[in-house]
Amino acid sequence: TANERPRYRAEESSGRSYRPDCRTPNPFLIQFCIHPGDVVEFHGLEGTGKTETLYHLITRCIMPVQSGGLEVAVVFVDTDYHFDMLRLVSVLEGRLAEGSKEGDGSENESEERVRSCLCRLSVVHCNSSVQLLLTLQYLENTFSSQPSLCLLIIDSISSFYWVDRFNGGESTVCQEANLRKCAELLDRLRRNYGIVIFATTHAIMRNYASDPGVSEVPGSSSSSSSRRWRSADSTTDFDKPYLCKAWQRIVTHRMLFTKSHVSKDHKQVFSTACTSIMTKGVKRCLFHVMEDGIKFACDK
Amino acid sequence: MVILREGVCPGINEEFIKALQSEDIKTVEDFVSCNPEELARKCSLSYALVAVRRVLLAQYTAFPVSGADLYEELLSSTAILSTGNPSLDKLLDSGLYTGEITELTGSPGSGKTQVCFSVAVNISHQLKQTVFYIDTKSGMCANRLLQMLQTKTPNMEEQMEALQKIKVFRVFDVFSLLACLQNLRSNGLQRASVGGGSVKALMVDSVSAVLSSMLGGKQNEGMSLLMQVAGELKMIAKDFNIAVLVTNHVTKDGNGHLKAGLGQSWSHVSRTRVLLRRVEDAGTSSLRTATLTKSSRQACHLVEEFDLCHWSEERRTSISGKRKLEERSKP
Repeated sequence: TANERPRYRAEESSGRSYRPDCRTPNPFLIQFCIHPGDVVEFHGLEGTGKTETLYHLITRCIMPVQSGGLEVAVVFVDTDYHFDMLRLVSVLEGRLAEGSKEGDGSENESEERVRSCLCRLSVVHCNSSVQLLLTLQYLENTFSSQPSLCLLIIDSISSFYWVDRFNGGESTVCQEANLRKCAELLDRLRRNYGIVIFATTHAIMRNYASDPGVSEVPGSSSSSSSRRWRSADSTTDFDKPYLCKAWQRIVTHRMLFTKSHVSKDHKQVFSTACTSIMTKGVKRCLFHVMEDGIKFACDK
Repeated sequence: MVILREGVCPGINEEFIKALQSEDIKTVEDFVSCNPEELARKCSLSYALVAVRRVLLAQYTAFPVSGADLYEELLSSTAILSTGNPSLDKLLDSGLYTGEITELTGSPGSGKTQVCFSVAVNISHQLKQTVFYIDTKSGMCANRLLQMLQTKTPNMEEQMEALQKIKVFRVFDVFSLLACLQNLRSNGLQRASVGGGSVKALMVDSVSAVLSSMLGGKQNEGMSLLMQVAGELKMIAKDFNIAVLVTNHVTKDGNGHLKAGLGQSWSHVSRTRVLLRRVEDAGTSSLRTATLTKSSRQACHLVEEFDLCHWSEERRTSISGKRKLEERSKP
């Protein structure tokens, strides 16, 4: 029946293969107007929920359709050994338990289900920007041969920023060369294959709106950052875009993660504010991080 | 940057390299980024270009691992090392996890080095595993370790055995730290595990002593070195299944709250962070509180109290929920 098949979305331009739409089990993507072929940047300080949101997306995509998932493949590129498989599995188990019927509970069965979900996830570890570039080249073949791959996640794309900056010497062009090539490659991937690309960047540059304090000096390479990403609210002054222009040009949505307030029942509330090049204004969303993943409390 | 040279891969000889250089292609990444057919036309090279490209990609890319295999591997290789102190274990969700970096922060005199000693002694004596201790502050004192062991067992042989399992490296600047870590990664760790008793823990006390002098100003080198140290520690933790414990100093942020030193870029590196503080107006001067400031497994801002002198005892007085909130709002 129609409910059992993974949902495919026909692409507007000819030549693109049919790919599953990763928004189906992730309604919050629709709220932020994210379409296949978009590049979404998750920007924020440490501990603001970027990686948790990624785990939420991954579990929704790799879970079987009966549990509300999409049963599609995901590629996760880990650049700083940040990937916490045990955390992903506990989120996955939580969601599977929620979606399954009662009495379905033998331990072996649930392990089997987790394993079959994890088979759809591929994890790649890169430890330098050269390796990242070459790996993305290699992955291009994977994307063309596997039509069920609809999500590429890079966590995080800013890990090599300082090392590249030092290795490039005085020339900004040299410093940014590898990331520029990666950005061009990612642009090709999203145009040719209609996948959604999520990349996290660490917020390490201060905006210098107020006093500088003890912080990293941005230097000349990021002083002319793109104006379109100036966020509407300045609750945080750590949202300065610092990666190269080529990257900023391909990003279609930028989601700024911050720790918001502590709710009445002592739970930390996180907030994400999404700006995009296609729509005006800032769309916000609040969420909690629980034992078994993220719980949204969205407002329009 | 990987420079194209003869011998980088079979099939690349001098004329090949000269032909590519005429098109301004000197590195592997330039070569791989080009369209092979266009390149073959421009350089009038044979289509064997494609085969060379495939071999180069195979050599230099990282390969995807299936999530299921990764999970299996992790289940069979992750271990949790108890710190020996029940309060600290509760905070860390049973102890130090292998494959991860745990960070201890605190102001001078808050007990970071003493905690490292106690954990090292517990791992070498109780768990009978080897500990690598990188000392950057000359804080390592073998007498103190012996004193701690003497409270655990009167048997001289056992004490000596445990002391032998703690290997100390002294480094005083970031370049020797990097060299030490790279040496460990390339041969030290395997040798240690072959010799009997596997290495399960690596401690660096302290990482900020060698890095903070390199940061600041407009130097890029300091940040790059910081990220390299972070990369080495993470690779060691992941590839050899070792629990890494590092210590860091604290600074005050805009609101006067304590936060870990070394800035935003370093804050992403550790998986779990604990802040140590002295207990004010306490009867004994060896009481400390540990606050969980970053964790992927437990709610943050849990506080536990413990006594440095009575490491294995559980503190009877537990901190109630109300006091936890007060702790958080205290500057």
